[in-house]
Amino acid sequence: MTRTESRLEQIKNTKIEAFTYTIEKGKIKELAIALGDQKESYLNGDAVPPTFSTVIEFWGDPTSISKVLDLNLSKVLHGEQSYEYVGTLKVGDEIIVHTVVEKAFAKATMNFIVLKKEFLNQHGELVLIGRSTIIERH
Amino acid sequence: MVGHQFETIQKEEVTHTQIVRYAGASGDFNPIHTVVPFAEKVGLGGVIAHGMMIMGFIGQAIVDWFPSNCLENFTVRFNAMTKPGEKIVVNGQIVGETDDSWLCESIASNENGEIKVTAKFTIHKRR
Repeated sequence: MTRTESRLEQIKNTKIEAFTYTIEKGKIKELAIALGDQKESYLNGDAVPPTFSTVIEFWGDPTSISKVLDLNLSKVLHGEQSYEYVGTLKVGDEIIVHTVVEKAFAKATMNFIVLKKEFLNQHGELVLIGRSTIIERH
Repeated sequence: MVGHQFETIQKEEVTHTQIVRYAGASGDFNPIHTVVPFAEKVGLGGVIAHGMMIMGFIGQAIVDWFPSNCLENFTVRFNAMTKPGEKIVVNGQIVGETDDSWLCESIASNENGEIKVTAKFTIHKRR
């Protein structure tokens, strides 16, 4: 087994410590304005844009995933992003996020790492599943 | 309905200010998006927009095309970097159908037709 393979084997199934984030009206408005998507429902906090969970991930997670997985940031790209909308995110919801490395494999001269994030609300309902594919060039 | 083309969404020119604003909103402060000398040093020739911002443009288009509670899933692949000064357009169409859902595709590209992000998404017909 090469060094790359053993490292990827080690990364696989790694669980990142769960974190919580409370959805604030102001952050929805801020994201909508940054996107230039000024729907009334976003500005009022009545709805949440489909990519809002990125706010939850970056503002809510105190863990540096790149440090945990020992990623070389100068060689890392965001390859794919996917969401399954199982339920609805609402203002005031206290969201808990569970992250796990679902896949880690090498193909050609690149490593592919798939992070699966499950977003549950304060009622314990699964509302969103996110998957991010990180590409690490060798 | 398969083959139906959605109305094109034309975004305003991406600016460095918008990228910085998106960094603050999303919390992604990677200096390749915000600090010009850093982005130059790593060989990008200047800052690049967050891929998630362009996914957000497609998200905007989807909710312009359909009520947001109908969106079942949304997957993108990041193809090319976007820089300040580029104008993004979002196009989309229905490519398939099941009893319950419309299967759709969307592309965000610049004014020269360079593809930035490709997307697949599913819309529930009766949600």
